[in-house]
Amino acid sequence: MADPVMAAASAAPLAGFRVGLDGRGVASDYARVLLASLGADASPRRHGMPDEHPALAWCRSGLMALTGQRDGAPQMCPLPLASCADGVVTALAGIGDGIAAGAGSGSRLLGVRANIAGLRRNGAISPGGSCRLLPTADRLLAVNLARDDDWRSVPAWLETERQADWALVEERVAGAPSAALLERARLLGLAVAAANPPEHSAAPWYHITATGTPRPPRPRHLRGDVPLVVDLSSLWAGPLCGQLLHRLGARVVKVESERRLDGARSGPAAFYDLLNAGKASVRLDFTSIRGRERLRCLIERADIVIEASRPRALRQMGIDAENIMRTRPGLTWISITGHGREEPQAGWIAFGDDAGVGAGLSALMRDVTGERLICGDAIGDPLTGLHAALAAWSSYRSGGGRLLALSLDEVLKHCVRFALPDSADALCDRHDRWHRLALESGAAKLAPPKVRARAKARPSGADTETVFARLGHRC
Amino acid sequence: MKTLKAGTRLKSAICDTEVMVIRTRPAEMLLCCGGIEMIAMDGGKSAGQPDPAFAQGTLVGKRYVDEQDTTELLCTKGGKGSLSLDGQVLAVKQAKALPSSD
Repeated sequence: MADPVMAAASAAPLAGFRVGLDGRGVASDYARVLLASLGADASPRRHGMPDEHPALAWCRSGLMALTGQRDGAPQMCPLPLASCADGVVTALAGIGDGIAAGAGSGSRLLGVRANIAGLRRNGAISPGGSCRLLPTADRLLAVNLARDDDWRSVPAWLETERQADWALVEERVAGAPSAALLERARLLGLAVAAANPPEHSAAPWYHITATGTPRPPRPRHLRGDVPLVVDLSSLWAGPLCGQLLHRLGARVVKVESERRLDGARSGPAAFYDLLNAGKASVRLDFTSIRGRERLRCLIERADIVIEASRPRALRQMGIDAENIMRTRPGLTWISITGHGREEPQAGWIAFGDDAGVGAGLSALMRDVTGERLICGDAIGDPLTGLHAALAAWSSYRSGGGRLLALSLDEVLKHCVRFALPDSADALCDRHDRWHRLALESGAAKLAPPKVRARAKARPSGADTETVFARLGHRC
Repeated sequence: MKTLKAGTRLKSAICDTEVMVIRTRPAEMLLCCGGIEMIAMDGGKSAGQPDPAFAQGTLVGKRYVDEQDTTELLCTKGGKGSLSLDGQVLAVKQAKALPSSD
């Protein structure tokens, strides 16, 4: 296309932006990698403050306490995953107001659910309990049966007529080739991932999969021009993205389906509040014509849409993100999926724990500890939510007009690959050094951090009428 | 007529529809798509169009159940025909409830 406006929108979101970052260390380095990948000039300054050591960040995040055998010692991950979380917040603070960077600013978001829900490390079982690492005929497989309906699909997955429980799953997968198990699980929409080793490939952490007409760039200080965020997501990653945008000054409207509320509402209230306080709550019947019209109306007024469903779900409701991008100037659409929007991966699902396994974390932990371990608590969720907020705000600042697609799988692989040593020896050496530092400093004993929301989240649908009244009579 | 089993995959004889059996009862049944009996995944397609009485189409990812809720099919590929069991058109089941945590 020769149209210069379209060409501008497809360029990296922060092209032409200069972001000054003071810090020195792994978190700041990751922030610079992210900003550079978004097109910004983020060259380091000379005399910045040192970042927290990645081993200590791992402890402070609570993930040290959450990784290891239940009755064994907490385990160190030799990758700076907690520092990556701090790095995303550093990058975010570099392009927006209202968020303070610093040690723990991102990393404590990784362990916060476990603190609220009282979750503990449990070896090859996720702290939340729904994901297990199981041996198949040829490798380890992460099987995450988080929804009640997943259990009803297990007999079809494993071709058995018996009542499904973990003992049966373990028995049936033990003799089966993992490729066949993966293929059938994907058809059934089950979250299953192979514990492959980490990849050294250079895949990006976000993709621009559609573009529209951008608006002029927006200033760092919002002044009167408050963006409207329509948050269609649920559980952890998407809602965290919405919460961070709220803190950056956006007006966030959370939309739930009347027949399928955010599942996190039935979990601990303190965790739901942490992710959703400050958002208006709209509830719609997506099966009715009126409900779908109102959803479309909201999306048409949005500056940023956050959505964490498989692409076909909205398409089957008559909402086509790619088409909306073309008709709504300045819109930023954040798509969060398990494995991306391309076919066939668009139909696959992932939750936070299995995504971590799929990105190589369990294979890596096995190499350095000799044990079968799930790393952290649903680690793909908070890391993806953080990255999604950075993608969203970058695009908004530069005028929007982009569909930015992030997947749990690719975000985690990006974090894993950053600072991944070249050899197994180097990895083991680093593991030993970091583990010793954690023990000697006393940080190894740190429990998951306590973070609480300052306010309660709105009850479901509490703001439906007010929100639509404000949008005007056409809705 | 066939006795279905959980996990069996079948395809339509005359459109693109493919399904996997999620659960069923142990009895002989006539499972059709577009009004014609569904076939094994490696079976040969027939020529022709779906019977207009069974041509509402199927949607990938949707689950279809019979009126007695004893048989459930997952559509793994959408097509033009509608699914029916012993002549009765199957209805779309509501979406899965989300977990409270994962």
